[in-house]
Amino acid sequence: MIFSGFLIGLIFGALLQRSRMCFNSAFRDVLLFKDNYLLKMALLAVAVQMVLVHLLAQMGLIALAPSGLNWVANIVGAYIFGLGMVLAGGCASGVTYRAGEGLTTAWFAAIFYGGTAYAMRNGGVFSGVWKWFQGFGVAPFQYFDQTTGEGFSRLYLQKAGQTLPSIFGVNPWIVVVICVGLILWYVFGTQTSERESKIELKTAAVLLGAVGAFAWYFSELVGRNYGLGITGGWSNIWSVWLSGKPFSWDGLSVFGIVVGAAISAVMAKEFKLRMPRNPITYVQVMGGGIVMGFGATIAGG
Amino acid sequence: MADYEVSRVIDVRGEVCPVPDVETKRAIKGAKDGEILKVLVDYPLSVERIPESVKKLGSEVLEVKKNGGSDWEIYVKVKKQ
Repeated sequence: MIFSGFLIGLIFGALLQRSRMCFNSAFRDVLLFKDNYLLKMALLAVAVQMVLVHLLAQMGLIALAPSGLNWVANIVGAYIFGLGMVLAGGCASGVTYRAGEGLTTAWFAAIFYGGTAYAMRNGGVFSGVWKWFQGFGVAPFQYFDQTTGEGFSRLYLQKAGQTLPSIFGVNPWIVVVICVGLILWYVFGTQTSERESKIELKTAAVLLGAVGAFAWYFSELVGRNYGLGITGGWSNIWSVWLSGKPFSWDGLSVFGIVVGAAISAVMAKEFKLRMPRNPITYVQVMGGGIVMGFGATIAGG
Repeated sequence: MADYEVSRVIDVRGEVCPVPDVETKRAIKGAKDGEILKVLVDYPLSVERIPESVKKLGSEVLEVKKNGGSDWEIYVKVKKQ
């Protein structure tokens, strides 16, 4: 069943390739070019996944397991990760699917990104920094009582990281409705930048969100309470390569994303070994990859 | 395809977004009215974006030509008010 990771990855990779989805580009487009096309797609995908994941949890098919809240580490790590992805030329999933499209700079970014993430969690370089940041973690929240089954919410694991619902003490569905409402208002209530595209924005977003939610379900079947994760996946690929560890669900899903994007790119006649004319770009993306791995690991994702 | 009197070629092959987009914009800003620019690009996302950026700057996209594989030529006619 661990191979479901590979299949989900294949589909996700092909979707990313066709839709050109990338969080890095999404934010940059809005801030620098006043173009909200990709950001709308990303947010709509988040909304779709948010509803589906909570539905799956409501039906008891999955248990939500937010990782431990750590304000300091989350904010500092995310900021560093952001700097890294600009240098590396894409967010985590962006770099991954572009690696499949034949972008050689993305290969180097991914190698250094995954390698750094693996090292930090396994006693290698910067592992002390990671441990130090762990000290700021907020204690997990008990979502319900093991014996009676009573408590705050049954959508989560018995004990897991704090979430907006647990902090504000409201039903998780209220948070879902508010977030989804805001996103829908933004996506449909404001003007969208025009763009020629292979898949239409809404279709792409719904498919991406749905695959993201199915990822939760299939990884739950192998005992993993989480959705798609790129950093953990690359880190696992490194552990397979260096230490002979077995592939994990997320390792196979990342592998699937690369292969899926490659197949999709070949079919669309968009595959090409792309090399920048300025070789300095390689140095830049390798540095960016290290910074990304460093930031992602500190942030806990 | 008509032959254009290209006055400048912008080769951004091998570059990822936003480089091709930014370079094209820069070239348009530095060009004179009526000049025709040829942008060589191999990144699919940029091929979808560059025409939109060109239109925003008030210039005209004459043609987006695909040369097999993942290679495109975009012809831009610079328009200045």
